[in-house]
Amino acid sequence: MKLKSILLSLAATSALLTSGMAFASGGGAALKHASIDVTNQEQLLRGLTVFTEVCMGCHSAKYVTFKGLMDYPELGISREMADELRGEKSMMHGLTTDLSPEDAQESYGKVPPDLSLIVPGRRGGSDYIYSLLTSYEHDHDGKVPDGNYNAVFPGHNIAMPDPLGWLDHDEADTAELEKQAHDVAAFLAFIGDPHQNERRALGKYVMMFLVLLSIVLFLLKKEIWKDVH
Amino acid sequence: MLDTIMKTKLFAWVDRRTGAEAIIKSQLTEYPMPKTCNWMWVFGALAVTVLALQIITGIFLAMYYKPSAELTAGGFSVAFDSVERIMRDVNFGWLIRYMHAVGASMFFLVVYIHMGRGMYYGSYKEPRELIWIVGVIILLIMQGAAFFGYLLPWGQMSFWGATVITNLFGAIPVLGDLIGQLLMGGFSVGDPTLNRFFSLHYLFPLLLAALVGGHIHALHTVHSNNPDGLDLDQSDPKNVVMFHPYGTMKDAFAVSVFLLVYCYIVFFNPQMGGYFIEVDNYVPANNLQTPAHIAPVWYLTPWYTILRSFEIKLVGIAAMGASLAILFVYPFLDRSPVRSARYRPMYQGMVIMFFIDVIVLGYCGHSAPTETLKLIGQIATAYYFLFFIALLFLPKIEKTRPLPEGV
Repeated sequence: MKLKSILLSLAATSALLTSGMAFASGGGAALKHASIDVTNQEQLLRGLTVFTEVCMGCHSAKYVTFKGLMDYPELGISREMADELRGEKSMMHGLTTDLSPEDAQESYGKVPPDLSLIVPGRRGGSDYIYSLLTSYEHDHDGKVPDGNYNAVFPGHNIAMPDPLGWLDHDEADTAELEKQAHDVAAFLAFIGDPHQNERRALGKYVMMFLVLLSIVLFLLKKEIWKDVH
Repeated sequence: MLDTIMKTKLFAWVDRRTGAEAIIKSQLTEYPMPKTCNWMWVFGALAVTVLALQIITGIFLAMYYKPSAELTAGGFSVAFDSVERIMRDVNFGWLIRYMHAVGASMFFLVVYIHMGRGMYYGSYKEPRELIWIVGVIILLIMQGAAFFGYLLPWGQMSFWGATVITNLFGAIPVLGDLIGQLLMGGFSVGDPTLNRFFSLHYLFPLLLAALVGGHIHALHTVHSNNPDGLDLDQSDPKNVVMFHPYGTMKDAFAVSVFLLVYCYIVFFNPQMGGYFIEVDNYVPANNLQTPAHIAPVWYLTPWYTILRSFEIKLVGIAAMGASLAILFVYPFLDRSPVRSARYRPMYQGMVIMFFIDVIVLGYCGHSAPTETLKLIGQIATAYYFLFFIALLFLPKIEKTRPLPEGV
């Protein structure tokens, strides 16, 4: 009996240690909370537009196909829209940029990363993406050129020049830019794990079944053990 | 139900040719287990459950996984692409892959608790030394299987974790380079390494299955320990119940509770905040870019801390080896005639401290190294070894409490 309580307290201790270090290795400035909802179809579609019109100038998301954009119920774009987006590319082709890696290397000094897994692949996830897009600032020390200084990027010197035009934007545009950043962060969070909504939906039934199964097996165990003292 | 099956003609036919009835009786329906065994005794059955889940999900993953480091568009590789294909395009591939990835962590969690139970109640002591020793071999094979498996997605942490560990072998005098090259299939981690690790990752679970058979056979020869650590008369119905249906029902309930926890993680939090699937492993392997902080997955971090606690690499490797090797002689270091920590006040404190110590070691190994953490890690390392060495002298000074007469 005693060992059980010890193990419980050990588990509690380790949980405390875990929660304390969740944000230990961020980029410096605290991340803004985006509270992304990856089930909001309207927002995901707005995010898709930001992605294809802004991000895809340089970035790809090669694991997301045009057919995928039609098939995922969270997006469900029409055949016509898919045809318009893909141009000459096949339906099974990924969302890839037309900027060649060589040209990107020459222009930006770095090949832009593929964005299919950018949300699960960064500490802070969608909060990080949202914060990154809305944290372009002037370097107080004047060392990093405008458009390359980002408060949340590790080391602050980011190769990607301010994609949404956040730096020195009009006060009146703040809400619109924040919305674009939020929308594209939601889209990227969705494509990072496109079956996540299906997974959570199915998970509820699995949980319900297992709770029932546990109750039945507990009663069965109790019945079988009732004459053991 | 078992009775009904055993009365059929078909069963009689099989029995005459295999002796199935005698096996069922000796291993299930007439195999006695102490009725005082508490819920800590279910973790063995849970470990077998996870092993089965890992093997089954692994077989399906291997149908789609391609072990090739050949580069594809965007800095990815054939291996990475095949994992993403499983996650995105294969029907329920995401479920199978998350089950396998979460299962690895759950396997270690269950096995560590199982070992902790054995340590606390003295299940490693005479006459169960061999069960413990086979168990330690199982742990080593598990660690190997997990290490090989972690390379397969060919992400940043896969690549750099494997690079760090295989480089360790290089520090071993004389044979080091040879061992490192044999493991890697070359001079650095690359495509041949991936193929090798995939092959070994498929082999090791088969070894595990065989060793688990040995572990259970050794157990069924000497029978289960009990929370008081008493030598019970196994033929006295006052002390024991039959494994089937009593043990099997208790285990079945435990398995369903375990599945509840496991499925909750699989369906709602499969990355477990970067503990079960590390954030850096969503970034494709890049041999030109070292991640800011390389750390093994949580279940290997206690040993990683022991390794890092020494300035000289070779000493660190020796210490890490010793920390695992000392587990083999644990039953022989501890000569106290009393088994259970319930009746050993000093041992009880020591072993609880040891559990906390291993968690502290794990925490230090997972975090980015700082001076303070390094010192804490060194103290924890010292206690790890001190615990085992102190066992040699413990029976001379420890006043054990009187054991109860019976159950």
